[in-house]
Amino acid sequence: MVIVKRKELSLLERLYVPEIARGLSITFRKMFEKKITRQYPEEPLPKTEVTRGQPRLVVKDDGNIACVSCGLCEAACPAYAITIDGGETDRPIEREPKRFDIDMLRCILCGFCEEACPKDAIFMSDELELADYSREMLVYDMEKLKRPAAAMRKRIEYVHKINDRWRSAPRPPMLADQHGAHGHAPSASTAGSHASSPTAAAQKPHAG
Amino acid sequence: MNDIAAKLGMTGDQLEGLLAILVRNTVILIGVINVAAVMTLVERKVSAWMQYRHGPNRVGPWGLLQPLADGVKFIFKEVVIPYGANKPLYLLAPAMAAVPAMMTIAVIPFANDVVLFGKNWGPLAIADIDVGILYLLAIGSMSVYGVILAGWASNSKYSLLGGLRASAQMISYELSMILAILAVVALAGSINLKEIAALQASTGNPLDWFFFKQPLACFLLLVASFAETNRHPFDFAECEPELVAGFNTEYSAMKWAIFFIGEYSAMAVMSALSVVLFWGGWSVPFMPDAPWYLGFAAFLAKVSVYLFLFVWVRWTLPRFRFDQLMRIGWKVMLPLALLNLLATGAMLALFGPPGAP
Repeated sequence: MVIVKRKELSLLERLYVPEIARGLSITFRKMFEKKITRQYPEEPLPKTEVTRGQPRLVVKDDGNIACVSCGLCEAACPAYAITIDGGETDRPIEREPKRFDIDMLRCILCGFCEEACPKDAIFMSDELELADYSREMLVYDMEKLKRPAAAMRKRIEYVHKINDRWRSAPRPPMLADQHGAHGHAPSASTAGSHASSPTAAAQKPHAG
Repeated sequence: MNDIAAKLGMTGDQLEGLLAILVRNTVILIGVINVAAVMTLVERKVSAWMQYRHGPNRVGPWGLLQPLADGVKFIFKEVVIPYGANKPLYLLAPAMAAVPAMMTIAVIPFANDVVLFGKNWGPLAIADIDVGILYLLAIGSMSVYGVILAGWASNSKYSLLGGLRASAQMISYELSMILAILAVVALAGSINLKEIAALQASTGNPLDWFFFKQPLACFLLLVASFAETNRHPFDFAECEPELVAGFNTEYSAMKWAIFFIGEYSAMAVMSALSVVLFWGGWSVPFMPDAPWYLGFAAFLAKVSVYLFLFVWVRWTLPRFRFDQLMRIGWKVMLPLALLNLLATGAMLALFGPPGAP
């Protein structure tokens, strides 16, 4: 059994009034201190490459999306938000989606589609705002989902950096690298900035 | 003017007097309702500032039009009457809570004799009656009926408990409040609020204000008025953590808002009463011959300080427990008020009324 010793109140404290006056003075001073509210629509949330917003289809620099309608993201989606109808194309990848819908009302922004995609076609953008006048308008089709790669570059590089920690062979260039040498290969120099990279580098031969 | 009066079978002076009464009463009543509206904004703003927030700032500049938006919202919301409620009483209760507060404002003297268009229109009060304090206390106590009726008619246990608590609390604190006021009445030798204010304003010396002769009574009246208006730290009639929202749990839309208009009007009346009794009413410090509009401004400023105090205390202090409330009411407030009255009486008997040679 624990016996809690209560502090004996002095006469002044039992009178309440001085303590009440002290409390009032504190609240009065707080009135003039800096406000911590973020005025949201005017002051948006800071967005970084780690921000996991709504998924978007990346438009490569040649104007196409990389999706081959394999359906892996559709299968990975825990909320059944993705619907894909595949079709053939004359491009070298042979298959492309004829319809690619994401129901943003179902999407839970988990990022599983991004992880599942073998073709680096779908990435989580930094767009978080979701408001519209009808449910139908919130089912995004392919045109609404497309985003140019340049706008998504930070997120793409971030995801590649994370994934490349377990990669043995150099990553084949995904984007036509016109924007300068963005080496996505797991070179020692880029991985060196990461704290766990020495062990990752040491394990590479075994993993391979 | 005289022609119109003749057609109505009155003299010109009678018609002027009638018009003056109409204008004055309308302005005062609308003023009180507007105080209630402004106070909802002040309450939200001050509470926000005390919690490092901005408060409502979207409707109009600095959120100043928020009460208007709230009013529109309340009017368009649905009035839900709970199953099994006593319908006539349920609909009557909000009015019973709000009307006494509006009625008591009638005897508050806002300013000295108003001189406009070269004519003296009398003091700025709806009714300058000789039993002002008696009237104010009698009508003011009626506002508890609104709370009890709301609790009873809602057919809800939370409402009923809130109403019961309100009645017990009002009876306990009314006593000490009246005893505190009596000390001032004994000093002033009058229960006409205008005379009490004039007594303090006559020399323009702030030390003539009754606060400096009756500081304990002023403090007791302040605490009692928190309890009388069901404000923190004595808001047991609503007491969210125990009673959901107390007596107004089952109310919605404008019916709910009327309770709040009543609460804020009651706050305004209690503040005005305290100002008249203890802070010299319309007295402007060191200006015994101040014109009526300066006096009116001084009165409003003093009432604003009191109203701010109500809000300030609400957002600082936690709520008492109900047994603590009763203990303070009966074992601290009442003996103190009685002692104060006894001491005042003894002083008056020994040294005669203040100001007497």
